[in-house]
Amino acid sequence: MRGFKAFVKKELIEFTRNYKWIILLSTFLFIGMSSPLLAKLLPNIFSILEMGGLTITLPEPTGMDAYSQFFKNMSQMGIIVLLLVYSGILSNELTKGTLTILLSKGLSRNAVILAKYTVALFHWSLFFLIGTIINHVYTIYLFEKTSFDHLFFSLFSLWLFGAFVLALILFSGTVTTGNYGGLLLTVVLLVIGLIANSFSALQKYNPVSLATDNLEILTGEVLVSERIGTVGLTVLLTTTILVFALYFFKEKKV
Amino acid sequence: MEELIEYLPLIIPILMIELILAAVALIHLVRHDQYRFGNRLMWILIILLVQIIGPILYFSIGKGDD
Repeated sequence: MRGFKAFVKKELIEFTRNYKWIILLSTFLFIGMSSPLLAKLLPNIFSILEMGGLTITLPEPTGMDAYSQFFKNMSQMGIIVLLLVYSGILSNELTKGTLTILLSKGLSRNAVILAKYTVALFHWSLFFLIGTIINHVYTIYLFEKTSFDHLFFSLFSLWLFGAFVLALILFSGTVTTGNYGGLLLTVVLLVIGLIANSFSALQKYNPVSLATDNLEILTGEVLVSERIGTVGLTVLLTTTILVFALYFFKEKKV
Repeated sequence: MEELIEYLPLIIPILMIELILAAVALIHLVRHDQYRFGNRLMWILIILLVQIIGPILYFSIGKGDD
């Protein structure tokens, strides 16, 4: 437990020193600010652009369009940035050998994985919250209709998917070697998930659907009751992946 | 066009984020000459031409160890 606390502290300090916070803060501020604005201005932008005499008239945007942009940006750019920032979470320290000293001094290997996951989850939650709040404030300011059904559940799904991705990154880091092996494996696993998600029968059992159906949950096309099972399964899967990460990291040569 | 100007107070903070991020990345780039791959010119172009994602790529996979 002492090792865990010390390592959490080390991770928190490291986060502020290697530009990760700048990346995450600016990404989620950018997503939060630009999504509602883009939704609002898109009809204007189209009317300014002259596309060879072709005029595209879009219907008056609503708060739903703002959230459509937000979910699209969050699930693509947000998750990609999360992958890039955290892909080296384990491999960086393994290739540099900075972990070896700590481990030989008696730091437990479980503490390393758990502390890294705790800190990553904390940061993801924090910046996700910042982006979400800014997006919501902008949406309220720019649009008239601003109450949504199941907004919390929809946002929670996306957040949970992020938590799942973080566990996947850690797990991939324990079973691969080298700088980019972990990133590659995570991407491969996510792509498999994305492909599987195109089969509607499998969507229920696929964590990826938590990041793709957010707007449909708001519009009511996908019922919350259909996704409760997916949420439960993802929590279970995240825990399992972490347990495997702990196991493989114990076996790993450092 | 007038409507775009109306929303300028909301657009400026977004541009600020992009500029600050690019500036921080450029300052880091000028002070360090070790990259995991690529050369300085390539990273300068990426940082300046690819908004938001460019500097993020530099910090996450471009910059060498401090």
